[in-house]
Formats: sequence, structure tokens, C-alpha cells
Amino acid sequence: MGITQILFWFLTALALGSALMVIFSKNPVHSVLWLIVTFFAISGHYILLNAQFLAIVNIIVYAGAIMVLFLFVVMLMNLNSELESQKGKWLKVAGAFSGGCLFIVIIAALKDSADMHQQVLLKSGDIGLIHNLGKALFENYVVPFELSSVLFLSAIVGTVVIGKKGD
Amino acid sequence: MNLIILSAVWGLIMMYGGVVSKRKSTPKILAIVGISILLITNLLEYYNLFAIHVDVKGMLKFTPFGLVFNSIVLLSMLFYFLLSTEDFDKVGAYPSEYYALIFFVLCGIGLASSFDTLLMLFLGIEIISIPLYILAGSDKKNLKSNEASLKYFLMGSFSTGVMLMGIAFLYGATGTFYIDAMNLGTGHLQPMVAIGIVLLMIALAFKVSAAPFHFWTPDVYDGSPTVFTSFMATIVKVGGFVAFLRLFDNAFGKMQSEWQTLIAIITAATLLIGNVTAVFQQSVKRMLAYSSIAQAGFMMFAIFALNTFAREGLILYSAAYCIATIGIFAILAKMKDYTFEGFNGLAKSHPALAFMNTVFLLSLAGIPLTAGFFSKYYMLIGAVKNGNQIWLVVFAVLMAAVSAYYYFRVIQAMYFREGNAEVAPVSGRFQTILAVATILVIILGIFPSLLTDLLYY
Repeated sequence: MGITQILFWFLTALALGSALMVIFSKNPVHSVLWLIVTFFAISGHYILLNAQFLAIVNIIVYAGAIMVLFLFVVMLMNLNSELESQKGKWLKVAGAFSGGCLFIVIIAALKDSADMHQQVLLKSGDIGLIHNLGKALFENYVVPFELSSVLFLSAIVGTVVIGKKGD
Repeated sequence: MNLIILSAVWGLIMMYGGVVSKRKSTPKILAIVGISILLITNLLEYYNLFAIHVDVKGMLKFTPFGLVFNSIVLLSMLFYFLLSTEDFDKVGAYPSEYYALIFFVLCGIGLASSFDTLLMLFLGIEIISIPLYILAGSDKKNLKSNEASLKYFLMGSFSTGVMLMGIAFLYGATGTFYIDAMNLGTGHLQPMVAIGIVLLMIALAFKVSAAPFHFWTPDVYDGSPTVFTSFMATIVKVGGFVAFLRLFDNAFGKMQSEWQTLIAIITAATLLIGNVTAVFQQSVKRMLAYSSIAQAGFMMFAIFALNTFAREGLILYSAAYCIATIGIFAILAKMKDYTFEGFNGLAKSHPALAFMNTVFLLSLAGIPLTAGFFSKYYMLIGAVKNGNQIWLVVFAVLMAAVSAYYYFRVIQAMYFREGNAEVAPVSGRFQTILAVATILVIILGIFPSLLTDLLYY
């Protein structure tokens, strides 16, 4: 087992474990903190795939900006485990049942998949570098890139319309 | 491409129009001018006279089907703006922003009717959805509007997540976003492709409010300001359907036998739940929300059948459903009382309004000589020609009969009940435009080929 494989299994265990902790911890602040750990583990995976740019963006945007925002919201709303609304027993059973159904369907569909036993091979090691990413973004994907600005613009207009004081 | 670019640009013009001029009439005039420009340029593109060319790397493909569909949407939008500009001012303090958001939605519909990669599908669906979350909550002081917005936002983002997961599975299986290059084959489905198709089906069924993913619809349609309910229930819904049809026709059409039963079940459930629940409603607005679910059930036949009749049927259905529902909502917005009792005696005080409302309701019920009849007929004949699940056709005819009950309840209230329906003052212009829409519904009911022939220009 090489160093890459050891790192891979370590990061995988870390990502899955901390993702589970996000759901299981009672305190919302702890949940957010575990989520940050999850994002760091996933960023580690990106680095293993030689996608440094994606890894850095993931840390800056998700683990940085968005998580800080989450934390602020959770703290400002002063949520804690006592105030959490009590969910009915049947709701829990129904949730577990429907989630379990999706889980079983996906496992059943994927267990025979031939792709499971193949290793992912990168064609060349530099595909995730910022140089190539920029080229792909502004040559092949320039139309969707520009169109997504309409999406963001409408979101910004919406924030102003909803958030402005007064009526 | 004209629609996609110009609608985004006109959205910006609407925003700046609100900054530059404070006059109340500016946004209305700008919006009507804008939609006319979009309609004309889209028709020019259809007749190959003028089209903005952009190197899209094969990500968008502009077919006659998509362009005819765009024209129908834009014509309905013209009716919508002409009929309901007055109601925009009543909603809140930012009418020009609401118009801008609506133009952005049109940009999304342009993408939905022409996408050729899953990436564009995602962008189109999202550009349609995000402005709607805001429009649903634009009546900020009304608690129901807030609830509608939040509910729609949470459910909508969840379904977006499901859609992304579906796209990711398909990408994982095929290594490409391009629909043509996917080459999924005709035989048995690969496991990852199967999951991808099912997840995409769930997400799109949510967007068009097909059962069992319809639970958000009544609350959101009921809580949103009536002008925007009209927009969501018509233009946006058919926009979702055109994306649904395009995806399942172009990408998964060859393996129809693998997923057809699932679509049949969704169709039957949508028809059943929409029609049966609509019978028990007391408010006309909520009844129309359930009726829009029921109509979605009929439109699902296009995806079920996937043949020429189905494609022509969807075009016809979009026109019939949009124009009639926009008309009914425009009249509803003028009523003081949204319950069935609120319509009592409308025929005595406003005979013209009552007559036009009757034509629209008959069209939705699918009575002959109205556009609704032929649109339902095309859908059902498409399913019969497809020939796999005849029980579904029989079931749909039965459900159409049920739907007549709740549409006729409104007609009964207007003509055969005593009372004085309170109506806001109605201008002569409003009635003229409604009359044009009524005539259009009747013309399409007699000569449906006027519209369907356009597909083969």
C-alpha cells in the first residue's frame, strides 16, 4: 500500500465519519463544525486527483465563506438541542423507510455495475490545473459560463427585492 | 438564440427603466414593448430571416418545434402582460424588478426548449426556478405568500439536488454531457444510466408538479399573489414540459420500453390526484391549482407516447392551456371573493365576462369547438398509436369527465345562482383583449392544423 492509497483511505474514512457526525450531533454548532471537516476531507480528495484549483476553491468558498455564514445564522438564531422541535415517532420511521428505500435501490442497481471494479485512470495528470480549467471554461464552455450570469443576476435581484426594508 | 439573448438583455433594460423613470406607467409600457420585440424576433428566427448567431459548440439546437413553442409562450405572455399589468402594482413596491425577473424566466424557457446538453438543461431549469421563488414571496406582508416562497424554495432546491445527482450519474456512465454523444444504446439499461434516468424523471416531474411530487403546488399557487400564480401555472409549467419532452425524446427515446411504465404510473397518479382533489375545493384559486395538476397529467401523455401526435399535441396543449388559464386568472384577479360563491350571479352583472370565462372553462374541460378538445384528442390519439398501455387512455377519458364537474361548478355559479358578484372595475381594453383570447381559443378549436402545420415549415 503506497502513500497515496493510505491517504485515500484515511480521507475517505474522515469524510464519511464526519458526514455522519453532521447528522448525529445534537448541537447544530457541532454539526456545522463537522461539516467543515467533511469539506476539508473532500478537498484532500481533489488534491489526490491533482485538481488543486478545485481543492482551493472548495476550501475558500465552502469551508470558508459558506460555513462561516452557516455558523453565524445558527448562532444568531440561538438554536440548541432543547429548542429543537420534537419530531413524531412515525415521522422518523417514515423518513428512515424512504431513505432506506433509495439506499437499497441505488445499492441494488450498482452492485452489478462493471464500473465498480475498474480503477479510475486519468488520461494525463494536469487536467485539473488552473491553466487547463481556464482554457476549457473560456473556450468550450463559454456559453454556459455567460448564461449562468443570468442565473446569478436573478438571484441578486431577488435578494434585493426580498431583503429591502419597507414594504 | 434571439429569445435567450434578447430576454436577458431586456430584463436588464426593465431594471434600469425602473431606476431612470419613476413614472408608474414606464415599466408596463417597457414590458409590453419588450415582449412584442421578443415575439417578432423569435418569429423572424423561425422564418430564417434574422437570427443572432453564436458559436454554442453544439450545446443548443434551434429546431422548428422549439421555435414554435417559444412563439406560443411569447404570445401567451403578451396576453398575460396586457391583461394583468394593473395587478403588478398591487403586489409590492418593485414592479420593474418583477418584470425583470419574468424576462429572466423567459430566458430560461428559451434554454429549456433548445438545450442539447445536460449542462444547458440544468441552467435552463434553474434560471426558470430561481426568479419564481422570489415572485412567490413578493407580497411580503402576507404570511401565506412568505410561506409559499419558503416552501417552494426548500422543495425546489431539493429537487434541483436530485436532478444534479441524476446528471452526475449519467455523466459517470457515459463521460459526456452531450445528448447526441451519450449513445445509451437500445437494449437493457446500464445500472448507472437507470439511476440517472429515474432521478432526472423525479426532478422534472417535481418541476411540472406531477404526482407524487405535487405536494408543493396547491400551497404555493394559493399563497402567491394571483398575478404570479397565473404565470407559474401556465408559462412555467409548459416550459418544464418542453424540457421534459426534449430530454426524454432526444436522449432516452430509444429505450422507451424501459421507463414507459414508470411514466404511465406517474401520469395515472397525476390525473387521479389532480382531478379528484379539485372536486372538493371551496376556493376557485385552489381549484385552479389542482386543475393545473390535472392538466399536467394530460401533458404527461406527450412524454408517455413520444410520437408525432404527442409532439403536435404538446404544442397545441401549451397554447390552449396557457391562453385559457391566463384568461381565467385575469378574471379571477378582478373578483373580490375567490370562493365559488363569489362568482354567483356574474352573468347578470357582467354578461361578457361571464361568457368569456365560460369559454375558457369549457376549453380546459375539453369540450368540442374549443382548443382544449383537440389538444386532449391529440394526446390520447398519440397514446393509442403508441399502443402499449391502453388502460391509461380509458382512465384519462374517465378523469376528463370528472374534471367537467368542477369546471361546470363555476359556470353554474355564474349563470344559475342568485347573488351579486363583486368585481373590480373592468376597462373596455381589458374586455377587448379577453375577447381576442376567446376568439383564439375557438379558432384553435376548429382549425388546430393552423398551429400544428407550423411544425413542418
